[in-house]
Amino acid sequence: MADGPHLATGGEATPSAGPAAARVAIIDSDSGFVRVLSKRIGAVGWRAQVLGSAPPPEELRAMRQHAIVIDVAMLGSEAWSYLGRICSISASQAVVVCTAPTSVAQRVRGMRLGADDWVTKPCHPEEVLARVEAALRARQAGAAVSEPPQAVVAGELEIRPDMFEAVVGGRALGLTRREFELIQLLSASEGRVIPRERIYERVWGYAMAHGDRSVDVFVRKLRKKLEAASPGWRYVHTHFGVGYRFDAQEMDTTTAAADEGEPPEASASLP
Amino acid sequence: MPMARLSLVPKDREFFNLFDEAGTNILHAAQLLGRLIKQWPDAGGLGREILICEQEGDRITHDIIHRLNSTSVTPIDREDIHALASALDDIVDYTEEAADFMGLYNIEAPMEQALQLTGVLEDACRNIAQALSRLRGFQELNHYFVEVNRLENEGDRITREALASLFRGGIDPMIVIKWKDIFERLEQAIDACEHVANILEGIVVKHT
Repeated sequence: MADGPHLATGGEATPSAGPAAARVAIIDSDSGFVRVLSKRIGAVGWRAQVLGSAPPPEELRAMRQHAIVIDVAMLGSEAWSYLGRICSISASQAVVVCTAPTSVAQRVRGMRLGADDWVTKPCHPEEVLARVEAALRARQAGAAVSEPPQAVVAGELEIRPDMFEAVVGGRALGLTRREFELIQLLSASEGRVIPRERIYERVWGYAMAHGDRSVDVFVRKLRKKLEAASPGWRYVHTHFGVGYRFDAQEMDTTTAAADEGEPPEASASLP
Repeated sequence: MPMARLSLVPKDREFFNLFDEAGTNILHAAQLLGRLIKQWPDAGGLGREILICEQEGDRITHDIIHRLNSTSVTPIDREDIHALASALDDIVDYTEEAADFMGLYNIEAPMEQALQLTGVLEDACRNIAQALSRLRGFQELNHYFVEVNRLENEGDRITREALASLFRGGIDPMIVIKWKDIFERLEQAIDACEHVANILEGIVVKHT
């Protein structure tokens, strides 16, 4: 459980450049390895789909995975043709081969068929994860990632990723880095409830410890600043026992009191 | 020996009054800690108030030991007075240490389990404070000790579960290090309450 790939260290780097919850297919018959890797993938908020045998490429395409981790050894003589076909499923899908020691020629052939990376077993799941993440970054480099993030406008609020700040009427709210990452994450999924565990994973870069109130504390801080700057609006809404939802709503007197709740207390009911 | 007996009465009162004070002090410290963790990180001057409680605890312990050394006849066995005073002091020391760690470790937000533990600590301290205030009669104190023992078991359970949840995979190792320490301090404070209850129980048995 060393540093997760989402770890936002010191003053640099946002979490993963990959999709919010990347779907990763693991095509491998080594049950021990698969278990460890899928657990690690789950721990960073991604979804792992374990496939003990190689499905037809068309089926794999229908699964719309973001990345595929494959042990080509299990395909025998079909390995190269299969690898070639899955590498051409989609331009944004990353393929990382993770297999037993091979020759240089085999690795070169695999990469030229379109694999993004090649990891030799035995390997650490963290490294595989990091390579998948790097491959996703590279696949997306031509598209969204290379573009500067766009400002989001909601109600009176403007969220400016270029400044790491939120602005109301030309005045900055003075958000800390964590508060900014929080509002950026919430506003990116406007209208949808994001569970607290998921918020923690994305903003803090780790799994949330059971009972940890960090998300609630930071939402409280964020709300305080939002209310001071934009008192006629409500932006962050509490869903008790679940998490938070970003939705810019102009207050009228009837809804104001109802929504202005304390952070959810659901985790108070420990077993 | 009527003269000697008369001169003992104030000394008796002094010891009981001091233990009563100590009881009030541990309860106050536990309540402050509960508020501090609940309101964290906006706990204002509560840490400072807990530190004052800890110093007050030291002062009371010192007074008790001082009186013990300057009194030839005591209302309770000397070793029991000594053990009780130092066990009461332990409660405030651990309480203060837990509060101190919140700031020292730069804790961002409270944990539910820490709130539960401070609740248990507060209840245990309340029972001890009530037992201490009724110590003079040495009567009808057993239910306090039973309750403190029950609370200590409850504290153990919460601490074990809290520690187990910290060691789930993927959690920031810094969070693990910090909260493991704080949970342990809170548990030690609750254990110290049980120790006090055991000493008190022994005192009561000798006097009934």
